[in-house]
Amino acid sequence: MIRQLRQGFSKIYRGWGRRLGIGLPYIWLIIFFLLPFLIVLKISLSEPVLSQPPYSALTTFSDSMLQIKLNLSNYLLVSEDELYLDALMNSLKVALVSTLLCLLLGYPMAYTIATVQQRWRHILLMMIILPFWTSFLIRVYAWIGILKPQGILNNLLLSLGIIDEPLTILHTQLAVYIGIVYSYLPFMVLPLYANLAKLNQNLLEAAADLGARPVTSFLRITLPLSLPGIIAGSMLVFIPAVGEFVIPDLLGGPDSLMVGKLMWTEFFSNKDWPLASALALTILIILVVPFIAMQRLHQRYEDRDS
Amino acid sequence: MLKIEGKPLEAWQDPSARPYVQLQRVTRQYGDLYAVDNVSLDIYQGEFFSLLGSSGCGKSTLLRLLAGLEMPSSGRILIDGVDVTDVPPYLRPVNMMFQSYALFPHMSVENNIAFGLKQEKLPALEREQRIDQMLNLLHIESLRKRRPDQLSGGQKQRVALARSLAKLPKLLLLDEPLGALDKRLRENTQFELVNLQEKLGITFVTVTHDQEEAMTMSSRIAVMHEGQIRQVDTPSGIYEFPNSRFVAGFVGSINLFEGRVMQRIDDEVLIEGAEGEHYRMRSYQPLAIGLPVAVAVRPEKVRLSTDLADAPNRIRGKVQDIAYLGDVSIFHLLSASGHKIQMTLTNTRPITEQSLNWGEEVVIEWDADAGVVLTE
Amino acid sequence: MKWRNLIMGLVAFGYAFLYIPVMLLVIYSFNESRLVTVWGGFSFKWYGEVLKNESLLNAAWLSLRIATVNATFAVALGTLAAYSLNRYRRFRGRGGFELLLAAPLVMPDVIIGLSLLLLFVSLEQLIGWPPGRGFTTISIAHITFSLAYAAVVIRGRIGQLDPLLEEAAMDLGAKPFTVFLRITLPLLAPALISAWLLAFTLSLDDLVIASFVSGPGSTTLPMWIYSSVRLGVKPEVNALATLMLLFVVIIVLFSGRIFNRKR
Repeated sequence: MIRQLRQGFSKIYRGWGRRLGIGLPYIWLIIFFLLPFLIVLKISLSEPVLSQPPYSALTTFSDSMLQIKLNLSNYLLVSEDELYLDALMNSLKVALVSTLLCLLLGYPMAYTIATVQQRWRHILLMMIILPFWTSFLIRVYAWIGILKPQGILNNLLLSLGIIDEPLTILHTQLAVYIGIVYSYLPFMVLPLYANLAKLNQNLLEAAADLGARPVTSFLRITLPLSLPGIIAGSMLVFIPAVGEFVIPDLLGGPDSLMVGKLMWTEFFSNKDWPLASALALTILIILVVPFIAMQRLHQRYEDRDS
Repeated sequence: MLKIEGKPLEAWQDPSARPYVQLQRVTRQYGDLYAVDNVSLDIYQGEFFSLLGSSGCGKSTLLRLLAGLEMPSSGRILIDGVDVTDVPPYLRPVNMMFQSYALFPHMSVENNIAFGLKQEKLPALEREQRIDQMLNLLHIESLRKRRPDQLSGGQKQRVALARSLAKLPKLLLLDEPLGALDKRLRENTQFELVNLQEKLGITFVTVTHDQEEAMTMSSRIAVMHEGQIRQVDTPSGIYEFPNSRFVAGFVGSINLFEGRVMQRIDDEVLIEGAEGEHYRMRSYQPLAIGLPVAVAVRPEKVRLSTDLADAPNRIRGKVQDIAYLGDVSIFHLLSASGHKIQMTLTNTRPITEQSLNWGEEVVIEWDADAGVVLTE
Repeated sequence: MKWRNLIMGLVAFGYAFLYIPVMLLVIYSFNESRLVTVWGGFSFKWYGEVLKNESLLNAAWLSLRIATVNATFAVALGTLAAYSLNRYRRFRGRGGFELLLAAPLVMPDVIIGLSLLLLFVSLEQLIGWPPGRGFTTISIAHITFSLAYAAVVIRGRIGQLDPLLEEAAMDLGAKPFTVFLRITLPLLAPALISAWLLAFTLSLDDLVIASFVSGPGSTTLPMWIYSSVRLGVKPEVNALATLMLLFVVIIVLFSGRIFNRKR
């Protein structure tokens, strides 16, 4: 009898542990991550008004009639106004080019870390991770002092006699590229390293044994096998870069309008919450495809590993 | 199996003995896969019982069912007469030594051993005494303060054993206890394990895929295949009197000759093979005339014959291959009837004096009681 | 050989690219001159300015409080998420859970910030909670994305954990809760510490989300920095940045020591 009670109790206990373990973080994310998007959707369909909060209600109840008014003008504006279209296209372009630059610089770094002696590997890897711990804002800020017309870079180049007058880099698209590559490089290197470190060196030896030169081995063995790492790293750079705000705001100029910054302006300066919401959802929809692709790939990769 | 005159009955031969562990029609299913399929088994107090089988045969699952780490899909498990089927592992009077030892990496050897004792709230003084006793028993006093990552494979094995013995369980489960050791260490440890078991009087149930290990250590062996127990017997019983073609082939090497029962002569049967050759074997089973059977003869029970006349159990063949193993040589012969036959001869003389050569014609034979007749 | 040189060159450039800007920042924080990029002699002057600036100190104090609360909650929730994803192989809604847990890692800050603000505004209208915006709303927002990072770090470690260890403990008589407390948790400790520190620094670093969900009177440190650097480089900010770097380096070294001793 007592034993049965105890068993029953332990079953309930196990069930509760399970429910709590999954439920608590799940509910948190549903309330504070998923639900907000539904509210964004709702507000993007409303009209801006001068009140607190500054948007109209979707539903009104008058003369015993429930009226739902959906205002699509925000989306029409986003899809028709050149300002928004340009900002969207420019964001995608900047993110894409930055991703490629990160890959170009990050691949040799990850490859080197994965292949050097154990002793060096820890140090090099630590040096990639360390920037994660330092303030992103401050690291972007550091570039202002370097890039501005009387900044460190110009002073150096002038004193070396390489240039005669200061280069204009700050507040241009170039500065945005530098800032994004600089900030997101570790996000590219880490997944690449994780992938390349798992590469079985025997495969390369086998390829060499079968007569492949190093370059051929790299192109035919290493590169295809590291594809999951390349895709993961690229997504980790591309997706957040599209919506980046701090970098275009601090380093960019009038020619480098990005959609994240535009959203910020609509929200804080123009107080147009519905339009900002419509912009946010537009970015979200554009990013959903690469995000789902990344998840699927990750899932498949994990399944294969286990 | 036959009872040997004058020897006391072993527990499993005594119908009045109560089994210490009873598995009653136990099944463990994962989806469509039957890891353990309707297994019934009795294990008696003081036994050194081995579950033998290739990987994936369900032997580890069976062990985990005993430990309570898996729950059976159906069937009951009794330990010392008490139904423990639904009892969680931490309430069972059973301890287990895990295959990879599973020593807690963040605790010293001492604390690893103390862990189980703390769970049963043994007073500190007794706990210390028990730890000393265990360290002593396994000759690892000097490792007391070490951490698992500072131990060699053999040392880890001893600590794991000490930890699982510390609570003085009546039943100890060992999952491939010697699997991770190298060959020499394994052989030494085999005997030590048996001595320890006899000294402590604990019932051991081990899982192994190593026949030699099972043969050396066990009081009885259960041969498992595809979730089912194919035979339970003493090591010699399994080896000399396999109950099926599968068990005969799984444990050691075997020559199988297919045929049909022709005639019974007292306690021997006459069997005719497909090519008209005859075998005459001792058998106490009731065998119907015409029943398809297999004659199973171990290679070391086959000998060279000086008599060249045709007779049952006598085969003419040609040496196809010779494997020299030092103490013995294994000859692979091809008979006129197309059988491939293995014969093991002890090298009583230096190999240079070996008389049998590749390609040579020989006649071999065996005695009627040198093998068994298998119906399954 | 040529390939090798090219690769080595790129690697060296990459590391220089990562580290030179921060080093220059530190060097110029000791610059006497207000013209940030012209060297005017060594001085601790700007550090004094930092310690005298009351609005900055208030912002720093608020950020530290939020970061602590955030890290603690994020690690607790992240551990639950990581543990259940590892142990309960199949449950309804697992795919959705995975998706929700991965999305905050890549979601642009502006979107998280805006959506959370709209949630808080709607909630306040509906049920009167949270009353206004500040410490609570910023903490909730930070926990939401930090929890995803914490879960990643902890999952990596749980994946390496040998499930036999827990079974062995249970076999030795430890009940599930004791197993979690005595075996699982101590073995996860290094990952829990890493995750806590990561969540702490993520919170300390966030400008965009905090800007959306903060209210009047609750300025975090990044918000303070942002408002003062929008108009250009300020020597006080260099000094502050150096202090923050020092703080991080101490934490990293300290945690490194702990891990080494654990091993």
